[in-house]
Order: sequence, then structure tokens, then C-alpha cells
Amino acid sequence: MRRLCALTLLLAVACAPLAAAPLHVDKVAPGVYVHIGQHKDVDDGYNGDIANIGFIVGDDAVAVIDTGGSYATGMALKEALRTVTQLPIRYVINTHGHPDHVFGNAAFVRADGAGQAPQLIGHARLPRALALRRDGYLRNLKKQLGDGAEKSDLIAPTLTVQDRLTLDLGHRTLELTAWPDAHTDTDVTVFDSATGTLWTGDLLFIDRTPAVDGNVNGWLAATRQLKQLPAAMVVPGHGPVTRDKNLALDRQAAYLSTLVRDVREGIRRGDDMTATMTTAAASERGRWQLFDAVNRRNVNLLYPRLEWE
Amino acid sequence: MLAASACPIAATAQAVADPWPALQTSLFPGKKLEPAPFIHVTAPTRAASGDQVPFAFAIDHPMTANNYIKSVTLLVDANPVPLAAVFHFAPESGKAEISTRIRFDTDSPVHVVAESSDGKLYVTAVTVKASGGCGGSVSGDDPAVMAAAGKMKMALGAPLRVGAINKARLLIRHPMYTGLQRNLTTNGFRPAYFIQKVAVSYNGKPVMVADTSIGISENPTLEFGFVPDGPGALTAVLEDNTGATYRQSIDVGG
Repeated sequence: MRRLCALTLLLAVACAPLAAAPLHVDKVAPGVYVHIGQHKDVDDGYNGDIANIGFIVGDDAVAVIDTGGSYATGMALKEALRTVTQLPIRYVINTHGHPDHVFGNAAFVRADGAGQAPQLIGHARLPRALALRRDGYLRNLKKQLGDGAEKSDLIAPTLTVQDRLTLDLGHRTLELTAWPDAHTDTDVTVFDSATGTLWTGDLLFIDRTPAVDGNVNGWLAATRQLKQLPAAMVVPGHGPVTRDKNLALDRQAAYLSTLVRDVREGIRRGDDMTATMTTAAASERGRWQLFDAVNRRNVNLLYPRLEWE
Repeated sequence: MLAASACPIAATAQAVADPWPALQTSLFPGKKLEPAPFIHVTAPTRAASGDQVPFAFAIDHPMTANNYIKSVTLLVDANPVPLAAVFHFAPESGKAEISTRIRFDTDSPVHVVAESSDGKLYVTAVTVKASGGCGGSVSGDDPAVMAAAGKMKMALGAPLRVGAINKARLLIRHPMYTGLQRNLTTNGFRPAYFIQKVAVSYNGKPVMVADTSIGISENPTLEFGFVPDGPGALTAVLEDNTGATYRQSIDVGG
């Protein structure tokens, strides 16, 4: 009998799915755990671990907020979660559809242990956005991560947010808000009323240069609205957790409005896109990380759009 | 984070053979292509977005009545449709010179092949790194996109100078659907819909004609030169692959 037990134990260890080293998470408030992603560019040393991801623990269940840029990152987040609690993961929330936030969904599609598989939750437009970008995102990920992309997949939400949604974790509710076209057209924020913690997803970048995709004017409008929300603490999509939400939002608004103004000015002067890439928002350069790469991409996206204003 | 470059084509093999020898054989059979340092190319080594990659060439070559560059072929080797455009020039162009934006499905060499009026072929190549952007995510509002297709803005960069090379810029509103982008409702592909010809003339004489394909970015832009013999009308006529035509004319220097 003892031998059998030893054998079972051995097998269990050998067969344990991906004994990934748990991600480092910080407890930023009671029951609120965040892993801070690294500021690496997607074209330079990308490792699938650049976004802030984490989880919130209630009395009955856990909600994961964003899953990272690969299956491996998602698994490592799950390992970290399991060092904190054995409660079931009831919800996996995607704050938007960008690959650095969603590819880890694949690590959460099945229930670990007893209970049901988690519900995947995202913006009402997220299923369509993921379907449209699926092939390109997968191909890019393989190019960026090679074998590290293994098992990563874009898994669409099973429950979507049109406007607002309240989730119950047991004596703890999360308020989800779906936003109009801003950083992307699939932005969702999460507010934990127990601690006053607001997860903005990529509606807020701190330190890392904000990356434009959706609608810059919509993003500026969302930035203004976010300033009105009460929040004791904010977890941004990239960069450190802050208690000074409005300072961070103001900095982001300064970058975005400077960028738009300078691209318009470049077009008006007759500067071409390449020239505008080096001049637009140059005054903001010292304030942001990865500025050169991200700002060029932003101009590349905005210039052709603003030409037709 | 991560800029949006959706590549609607299914993932293809990573390492493929160099497509250039076969392209050269099929497009320029039996011809010798002479390396040409006088073809100057401006392109990023690493593009910020594969959807809209700024690309320009300028060819230092006489443009006289009996010795000029008559056409320039632009090939993005690794694209599903490598032939992005063929530009046709005349002595009235002043210089075989174009600035535009093109699509890259993946990292690729670009070959610029110029043919002179005596039939000689010249070539130069550059390589551009671009993260999968072979056509954008096409999430735009279809009816609005279709209604705007064919709209143009054309302007000179500076007041007209008679007898000298003047630069004109033509902006075209058009989705340039590749035929390789997914249509989510049918689960098939959105049909190709693109500008296939841009013909610009000055006072009735052609100065730049481009046979364009899906390798040209959405909302195409073309900057080109022309030498006016006096004040007159610069006219652009577009033709798309459904046969629809669009025309715009501006009076300059009058």
C-alpha cells in the first residue's frame, strides 16, 4: 500500500500539467493581487508578459482579470493564484482584445479541480474583434515567441458585457463597464467596490507610451470620464498601481492630445508620414518608456486616418 | 497594447524559398536586370505597421523625349500578390518618382524594376521588416466605406512653376479590399475591391499612370511630379476592379 501511494505521488508529480513557476503577484489591497508586466516592446524581446494581469478573491470564488500574452503566462498566473487560494475560479475577465492581455485565456478554459469551468467575460464586441484578428495575432505570436507560443489561443467570451454587469464572488461584487470605442473597441473596466480598486485595462497606461488602436478622441473622452469615477486605487493596463488616478489620467491625456495635434499639424504643413513620425509628440518623449517604437506606430495609424478629417 | 495589424490570411509556412527568381522569370522572361544605384528608395527597415508602410522611389535618369524611364514595377516579394503596382511615366513627368504607402504581409524584400524607353531594365531591392499587416482588420462600417470610395483630394505642394518639376499629391478614399480578408457573416472572404488604375494627365497629356493592385494600402496616396508648359488642368481618373470610374480635376497656376 505504501508503495502504491509513493508510485501515485510520483505519477502525480510527473504528470502535473506544466509545473510553471508562479508569476510574481503583489497583494495591493485585501483580496486584490496584481502581476505587473514588463515594459518590453512587441518587436524587441517580447516575452508574452508585458501587461498587468491579476485576480480578485471573494468569499466563494475568484475572478481573474486578464490572462497575459501566452498560455505559459496564463498558467503561471494560475500557479500564483493557487498559492493564494483554493477557491474556484468563477470568472475570467478580458479588459479588451489585445494579444498581450488575452492569449492566456487558453490556460483557464477548463476547471482545475472540482467545480465548473470559469465563464469568460468580455465586451459585447470582443467575439467579433477576436475573430477578425485571430489569424494575424496567432501568426505574430508564433513569430515573436516561437515554442513559447505553444497552446496559446484566442478564446472568445462566453458571457459579454453590453453596458454594465455585476459579478458576485461571495460578499464581494465586481462592477464591469463596457466602454465606447476608445483604446480599442472592446474596452471593459472592473471596479471592486470592497476596496475601491478600479482596473482600467489599457484605458490607462502609466510610464509605458500609450498605444493607439481604437479611436483617440473616444479614448480622450473615456479618460475624462474615468477622472470622475471614485477609486481609491487604480490598476492600469501597463505600469505601476497608483493611488493618484487623476495625475496618471492627465499625463495620458497630455500625450494623446499632443499626438493628435502634432499629426494634424504635420498634415497641414504638408509633411509626409515618415517626417511626422519623428516630430509628432516629440515634446512628450522624455516622459514615456518605449517612446520611439510606440509613438512611430501611433503616427503610422493616425496619420492616414486624420488625412481624411 | 499592441497595435492592430490583423492579417486575414491563414498562417503559412515560416520558411519559404526565395520567391524572387520565379517572380523575375515570370514578369521579365529572358531579360537581363541591371543593378541600378541610381534608383533611390526610401523605406523603413522596420515598418511600424504592415498596413501602411511609407515607400518612395526616385530615379536619377534623363527624362527627355527619346531617353526616359517609361515604367517602374514595384514588387513586394513575400506578399500573396507580390505585384503592388506598375507606374508609367512620360518625359512630361520630369522625373520617375513616386511616394506612396504599401502593404506587407510579412518581412519582405521589395524589388523596384525600372524600364527605360530603349527597353533596358534596371533593378534595386531593399528589405523591410513588417509585422503581419496584409490588409487591416476591416472592421470599418461597410456602407460608409462604400459610399466614400472614389473620393479624391489633389493638391500641389507649392505654387505652380512653369517648366520645372512640380510635386502633386493625390489622396484617394478607397478600402482596397484584398479578397483575402475574412467576412465574418459568411465565414468566407470579403470580395476583392480595389483601385486598379490611376491615370493623371496635365492639359490632356499623361504625366503618371499607375496600374495598382491590393498591395497598395487602404486609402491610397500618390505623390508624383510633372512639368507644366503653362497654367492648366491636372486631372486624375480612377478605375476600380468593378469598372467604376471616378474623375477629379484641379486648375493650377491660372
